Amino acid sequence: MDKSNINKIQNFSKSIRRNIIDMAFSAGASSAHLGGALSIVEIISTLFCHVMKYNDDPQWQDRDRFILSKGHACLAYYAALCEIGYISKDELQTFEKDSSKLLGHPVINREIGIDFSNGSLGMGLSLGIGVALSLKKRKKNNRVFVIIGDGECNEGSVWEAAMAASHFKLNNLFIFIDNNKFQQTGTNDQIMKTSDLRSKWESFGWETIDIDGHNIKELCNYFESMEDSELKPKAIIANTVKGKGFSFSENNNDWHHSILTKKLYDQALEELEVNK
Amino acid sequence: MIIDERNIKMWSTIGARATFGIAALEIAKKIDNLIVCTCDVSTSAGLDRFRKTLPDKYYDLGIAEQNLIGVAAGLASEGYNVITTTFAPFQTLRCCEQIKVNLGYMKQKICMVGIGSGLALGTLGFTHCCVEDVGVLRSIPNLNIVSPADSLETIKALEAAVNSEKSTYLRLTGSSNNPIIYNKDYEFKIGKSVTLVDGNDIIIFCAGAITKNCLTAAEILQKKNISVKVVNMHTIKPIDKNILDESQNFKLIVSVEEHNIYGGLGSAIAEYNSTFTNSPKQLFLGIKDIYGSGGTYDYLKEKHRLDPEKIVEDILKNLD
Amino acid sequence: MSSKEKYKEIFVKSLSIDNAKFHEKLKYNEIPEWDSIGHMTLMSGLEEGFNISLETDDIVDFSSFEKGIEILQKYKVKIDE
Repeated sequence: MDKSNINKIQNFSKSIRRNIIDMAFSAGASSAHLGGALSIVEIISTLFCHVMKYNDDPQWQDRDRFILSKGHACLAYYAALCEIGYISKDELQTFEKDSSKLLGHPVINREIGIDFSNGSLGMGLSLGIGVALSLKKRKKNNRVFVIIGDGECNEGSVWEAAMAASHFKLNNLFIFIDNNKFQQTGTNDQIMKTSDLRSKWESFGWETIDIDGHNIKELCNYFESMEDSELKPKAIIANTVKGKGFSFSENNNDWHHSILTKKLYDQALEELEVNK
Repeated sequence: MIIDERNIKMWSTIGARATFGIAALEIAKKIDNLIVCTCDVSTSAGLDRFRKTLPDKYYDLGIAEQNLIGVAAGLASEGYNVITTTFAPFQTLRCCEQIKVNLGYMKQKICMVGIGSGLALGTLGFTHCCVEDVGVLRSIPNLNIVSPADSLETIKALEAAVNSEKSTYLRLTGSSNNPIIYNKDYEFKIGKSVTLVDGNDIIIFCAGAITKNCLTAAEILQKKNISVKVVNMHTIKPIDKNILDESQNFKLIVSVEEHNIYGGLGSAIAEYNSTFTNSPKQLFLGIKDIYGSGGTYDYLKEKHRLDPEKIVEDILKNLD
Repeated sequence: MSSKEKYKEIFVKSLSIDNAKFHEKLKYNEIPEWDSIGHMTLMSGLEEGFNISLETDDIVDFSSFEKGIEILQKYKVKIDE
C-alpha cells in the first residue's frame, strides 16, 4: 500500500468534507444530516478513490455498484459524486433547494450516478442482493457495495436480507456497517442495544471483520489482502466517529440533523485547513 | 398457449393459481430475462413445474416479503422482467412501504401476483383472507391493479402485465373449479373493461371470480324483466372512464367485489362518478368493513351477501 | 375403441405425454407431467371422457393407472380390453 495512494485518498476525504460543509451551510434553515455523513467520509473516499471500478459514464454497465442504504448520509455521497465529476460544484449548491436533484435523501437519478432512491431505512441491502444476483447471472465479476447504519440494523428487513445474501452465496456483495454508536435520538445502547454486530453478522453467514472506519491504510489493506476463499458475502464493521472531522460535531448527536450556522461553517473551514 | 375449449376447461378446473403457474412457465420460455421470485409458496402458486423446468429463472426468498420486493426491484433495476408472488395479504400489506418506494417512487417495474385474495381461504380466517389489498395499493402512484375474472383472463392479464411498462398488482381470487366466464379468446387490455352482458336499466361493475355470481344475478333479474348490463371491470386502476361515462344513463349502478366496500372497486367508481352533477345512485356490494367469522368460500360469499340470490335481493331493494 | 384404449388415450392427452412414455404401471408423481397440476387435468379429462363426476376422496386416492381402473368401477365404468 504505497504512500501516494494513501495521500490521494486523504485529499479526496478532505475535499469531500469541504463539499459536505458547503452543502450543509447552503441548506441553511432546512438543516442537514451532518453527523452520519461525516462518519463515512473515509469509507466512501477509499471506495470511490481506490476500490470501485467506474468510468466517466455513470451508467456504464461494467461499473461496480454503490448503494447508500443509510440514505440520510447523502451529503458524503453527493460530495463524492462531485469529486469524480458526475455532479458539478454549482449543482451541490442546490442541495435541498426547491425541485433540486439533491434532496436530504438520495432520489434515483442514474445520469448523475444516483442508482437508487434511499432514505427509508432497511431497504438498501435487499436492492444490493437483487443487483448482486443479476451480476452473478450475467457472469460479471463486478462488486456491490452497500453502506448501512448501525441504527438501521434495528430494522427487521435488514436481517431478512442478511439471511438471503449468505443463502445465495453472494461473495460479490460487500457491506459496511457505519458503527458510529449513535442513532437518531441517542446512542445505540440507549435506544436499542445492537451489541456485538460482528457476531450477529457472522452468525448470519457473513465473513465479517472489525475495522477502524477512519483509518485509510486499514481500509485499503482489507481490500488488498482479502482472498476470496469461501463463497460468503462480506460485512465490514467500521468503527467510526459520528461527526468526524470537526471539533464541534464529533460524538455530538445534536449533529444528527441540524443547522450549520455561518460561525460554525467558518470554524469548520479553519479546522479543515489546520488538520490535514 | 393454445386457447381452445379443452384448455379453457382444464384451466377452470385447476383454478387461477395453478393456471398462473403454467402461464408463467410458458411466458418464461419466450421471454429470456423473465424471473419469478416467491416466498416459500411454490406449490400453492402452481410453480412446481416452473421451479423444476427453469430453476435459474426462479428465486425463493423464504418467508420474507419485505426482502422479496427489494430483491425483485434490484433485479428489475438491472433489466430483468420480474414476477413476484405469494399469498395476497403478504404480497401487498406486509411489504407496503417497499412497494411504495421501489415500485411507486422509483418505478422499478415488477408484476406482483397476490394469490388466494378475497374470501377463497375462508377456512383459514382473515389472517389469510385479503379484503384490503386494492384499497391500500390504490393510493400508491405508478401501479396498475388488475383482478382477472377467470383462469383464461388470468393468463391474458399476466401476459399484459409482463409486457407492460408499468408495475402491476394481479389480484387472483376464486379457487379450483373456477367458473368459466370466457369460453373463447377475446381482446384483453389493461384499463379497458369488458361488457359481458348488455342491458339498460341497471349496470353491474364487478372484478375477479365474483363476476360469475353477477352474471347469474343478471339472469334472475332479466326473468323479472329488469334489463341488466354486466361489465367486467378487471382493471381497477387505471379505471375505464369511458364505461363510467356511459353508466350515467342507468337507473342504478352496482359495484360487486370480494373486497371491503371502502377503498376498492366501488370506491374507485364512486370517486369518478361523483365528478358528475347528478350521477345515478350506486349500490356498494362487498365486505361491509368487518372481519366476520371464517368458513368455506361458498359460505362466506353467502354470508357477505355476494351469492346471486342476495345480490338480486339487494338490487331489488334499491330499485325505486 | 375399447374402454381401456379410451382410458389410455385420456391419460396420454391429459398429461400431454407421448405414447412411448406411457405404461400401465404409471404412478402419480412418477413422471414430471403427472404432478399436482397434471393430476387435476387428468381428473377433468376422465370426468369428461366417461361423463362422470369424481368424489374428492377418489381424486385423492387415484394414485396410479391400475388404481384408476378400480375407482372407475365405482362409477359403473368397466375398463376392459
